[in-house]
Amino acid sequence: MAQPLVKKDDDLDDELEFSPFMGIEKGAVLQEARVFNDPQLDPRRCSQVITKLLYLLNQGESFTKVEATEVFFSVTKLFQSKDTGLRRMVYLIIKELSPGSDEVIIVTSSLMKDMNSKIDMYRANAIRVLCRIIDGTLLTQIERYLKQAIVDKNPVVSSAALVSGLHMLKSNPEIVKRWSNEVQEAVQSRAALVQFHALALLHQIRQNDRLAVSKLVGSLTKGAVRSPLAQCLLIRYTSQIIRDMGNHSQSGERPFYDFLESCLRHKAEMVILEAARAITELDGVSSRELTPAITVLQLFLSSPKPVLRFAAVRTLNKVAMTHPMAVTNCNIDMESLISDQNRSIATLAITTLLKTGNESSVERLMKQITNFMSDIADEFKIVVVEAIRSLCVKFPLKYRSLMNFLSNILREEGGFEYKRAIVDSIVTIIRDIPDAKENGLLHLCEFIEDCEFTYLSTQILHFLGIEGPNTSDPSKYIRYIYNRVHLENATVRAAAVCTLAKFGFMVEALKPRITVLLKRCIYDSDDEVRDRATLFLSILGNDDGLVETDNDSREFLFGSLEAPLVNMETSLKNYEPSEEAFDVESVPKEVKSQPLAEKKAKGKNPTGLGAPPPAPVSGFDAYERLLSSIPEFATFGKLFKSSSPVELTEAETEYSVNVVKHIFESHVVFQYNCTNTVPEQLLERVNVIVDASEAEEFSELSSKPLNSLPYDSPGQAFVAFEKPEGVPAVGKFSNTLTFVVKEVDPNTGEAEEDGVEDEYQLEDLEVVPADYMVNVGVSNFRNAWENMDPENELVDEYGLGPRESLGEAVKAVTDVLGMQSCEGTETVASNARSHTSLLSGLYIGNVKVLVKAQFGMDNRKEIAMKLAVRADDQSVSEAIHAIVSGG
Amino acid sequence: MKLRKGPLSIFQAEEARQRDDDDEEESIIKKESRRRKEGRKEGRIMILAVLFANSVGNVLIERFNGVPAEERLTWRSFLVKLGAENLKGVKNEELLVACHKSVYIVYTMLGDVSIFLVGKDEYDELALAEAIFIITGAVKDICGKPPTERVFLDKYGRICLCLDEIVWNGLLENTDKDRIKRLIRLKPPSEF
Repeated sequence: MAQPLVKKDDDLDDELEFSPFMGIEKGAVLQEARVFNDPQLDPRRCSQVITKLLYLLNQGESFTKVEATEVFFSVTKLFQSKDTGLRRMVYLIIKELSPGSDEVIIVTSSLMKDMNSKIDMYRANAIRVLCRIIDGTLLTQIERYLKQAIVDKNPVVSSAALVSGLHMLKSNPEIVKRWSNEVQEAVQSRAALVQFHALALLHQIRQNDRLAVSKLVGSLTKGAVRSPLAQCLLIRYTSQIIRDMGNHSQSGERPFYDFLESCLRHKAEMVILEAARAITELDGVSSRELTPAITVLQLFLSSPKPVLRFAAVRTLNKVAMTHPMAVTNCNIDMESLISDQNRSIATLAITTLLKTGNESSVERLMKQITNFMSDIADEFKIVVVEAIRSLCVKFPLKYRSLMNFLSNILREEGGFEYKRAIVDSIVTIIRDIPDAKENGLLHLCEFIEDCEFTYLSTQILHFLGIEGPNTSDPSKYIRYIYNRVHLENATVRAAAVCTLAKFGFMVEALKPRITVLLKRCIYDSDDEVRDRATLFLSILGNDDGLVETDNDSREFLFGSLEAPLVNMETSLKNYEPSEEAFDVESVPKEVKSQPLAEKKAKGKNPTGLGAPPPAPVSGFDAYERLLSSIPEFATFGKLFKSSSPVELTEAETEYSVNVVKHIFESHVVFQYNCTNTVPEQLLERVNVIVDASEAEEFSELSSKPLNSLPYDSPGQAFVAFEKPEGVPAVGKFSNTLTFVVKEVDPNTGEAEEDGVEDEYQLEDLEVVPADYMVNVGVSNFRNAWENMDPENELVDEYGLGPRESLGEAVKAVTDVLGMQSCEGTETVASNARSHTSLLSGLYIGNVKVLVKAQFGMDNRKEIAMKLAVRADDQSVSEAIHAIVSGG
Repeated sequence: MKLRKGPLSIFQAEEARQRDDDDEEESIIKKESRRRKEGRKEGRIMILAVLFANSVGNVLIERFNGVPAEERLTWRSFLVKLGAENLKGVKNEELLVACHKSVYIVYTMLGDVSIFLVGKDEYDELALAEAIFIITGAVKDICGKPPTERVFLDKYGRICLCLDEIVWNGLLENTDKDRIKRLIRLKPPSEF
């Protein structure tokens, strides 16, 4: 038996840390619960037992179905007692036990009686319990009472009904939505909390009706809102309306801004912060609008309450991403937060400062951060390191102190993610700032002397191999690299051998000495290391005719794989050892895009008729196999490119069709993937009639209809066109789907004999210049660029007109060209005014093309672009420029 | 005391952090808008958790709302660890704040008991601060002073009732401590 719950009033016992629940056991408590069945109820005893049950439940103890049912049934007996304290406990324990739907019926009558009781508090609690345990059908029975309760004089009853409404809205939205008149009345209530709950519920009910929300907000912003909580809600709804209206009324004053601004002078801190946050998050906020908000946020930075400091610095941190200049006034207050006890606040302060700081404050800032770094966790450190990286790109002149900082923290303890962030930052700085190169490389060299992460070591060795040979004194790196061959595991050793070979090839003076070092590696214990060493020795020695020219060796050592690694892996796995050697050229070069066509008609189960649907056809290899298996197309030669599927129908239509454009040297094949989403129909003789009157250079050659298209099993129809050889012809095609419909009996699954001819208009399809470009990436753009003949380079400048952001322009140009972004240049910082994109691709006729596009944006958001194109063939460079000026 | 939950294991916290990192992949803006949309759609904008623990990190009361059962252990461990790291020597009722993934945590110490609130979206650090202020006020009122663990457990039933009045299924219901005091005895509010 557990210790009885003794009420101890004297404070002396408090010091003894023994718990009233000491030794509590589920079985014993369940035994005790039998007191609920006593004819003479002892309210105090019963309350104590309920407390114990609550304690067990709160400790994560679970009752079996039988136990829960038994306890629940006994608890219902307690409704006989008139003791209010006990009744309150009963309400709570019923909610906690959350009885099954078959048991609920036992208490509903008692609860419904309480719901109509004269005692207000019984009503409020009964509502809350009922709404917790009942389902939709019972809800309709008590709906009348709930509506009454919403407008009850007693605020507790009203709140209980409103909050219940908020919960029920999830499970029974259509019922709760009928209460909007009552809720509307409650919004006008004089009780602060009722207004708060009513406002929340009314907004939830009407959230999809923009006009209604706008009216609600409009009336409340004029009138008095009684609680700060409701005021906060109102601010949120207001900013949502401003967001929605944003596109319509750009001119003149922003609606509701005055309301937000007036909230900055509210007496509740919560409201002030909410309003300030709403203002900073307005789309295209002007600095005049921003100033009052920043001023109040600045005051909160020195608040004694951590929550307010956190809220303020968090908001300012966000503002700093888009409007760094607006936040600079707060810098002094922010600096004092670096030493804040709360690490979340300190990290936010530092990263904000790094975004807003000017060139002169960088060094002082770095000193402060150094002290701070030692006592924060890795996850915060990574945030700081990333902020420093962008700072360095912003202020290249300060690279020295930033680089020193990074190299110092690189030497300290830290996990993999943290170290990787530092190494990535150093690599970025070396790439962007040529002056930082030698210094940075030495820091990396020192790091690999004592680096426990294989991944980082190999990455750094690879990077050294590319950058190291071009420095003023390449020999100083050799020691670090060769040390790896002695001290590290096989993976790192193999990487070190590659790096050595690169130095040997690039630096003639080092070649003899590197050869000596490589020769030592051919006795390594690992196969791969030995193989690599042998291979490189023969390349460097150039003695056995393995490679013919220097250019071949260069290509071999520094060139990147032309095909993506994934494709290479699949091809190698598919290769079966035979007389015929593996042909690298056979590996597809297309970067795999997401299969787009697959998302439709999911979740619908096939009705069991017909054969299982054919395997989805996507991916370059699959397309190639499919097309070469069709005799009509087998003579077209090698497939150059297949586009990703283009939808020709809207979502949720009866027939869903998308098309894949297959480009050959002098042909184009359209593959129409059709899906029939009507279970009662079978389509036969499905064909696509293509009108090519707006595509003059194309002439239709043949088409291959689809014989039968049952429900939910996709099939393909094809249409082939001839076009001038090697010419990137473009044009617009309009498509009509023709077919014979046959009704299907849903019971038997059999189709009727007779069908009706019908047609279905599809969207137009265009062949664009990007279709003639395969997006093949290069791993080292700069090397690839320099290896191309500068004679063929064509440079021109373009005005792209006004755009919302630079990122949008970059994406537009990349899409028009259909090329692959290299070295992560597809991401543009949100507030950037200039950006350089590096693009690469393979143009029809297998011509390699590289593009450097420099973008700049002026104050009026006008975007200018300087486009430099290098290709193996000058005419292709011209074609690229033609695409841009035409697009 | 076998029913109490042990303090967290380091691995779980580590795991939570790892998952956190994975989440970072998605662009912040995209995540923000998606999160807003989801929140609005499901109406799951609420106080996700209220947790009371004693000085050595054993859980006294926990209430989760809209948190899947399998994630609760992670949260429990994370909160207790957060408390162990930061709550030493903190004054009574001084609020601390942290954020993890897209949720906010406000926590404090009251006597021997630490109190944690977790929320997201509408319940950001400010709303949580409001809620925790009400909770600490109510607990102090019941116990007469910042409670020792013993006093807290003595008044366990009434504390549960208070909590029931303040946070109901994840939504803030009552905020006035005098009213709460009356409500748990089924007395109508005095101002009424």
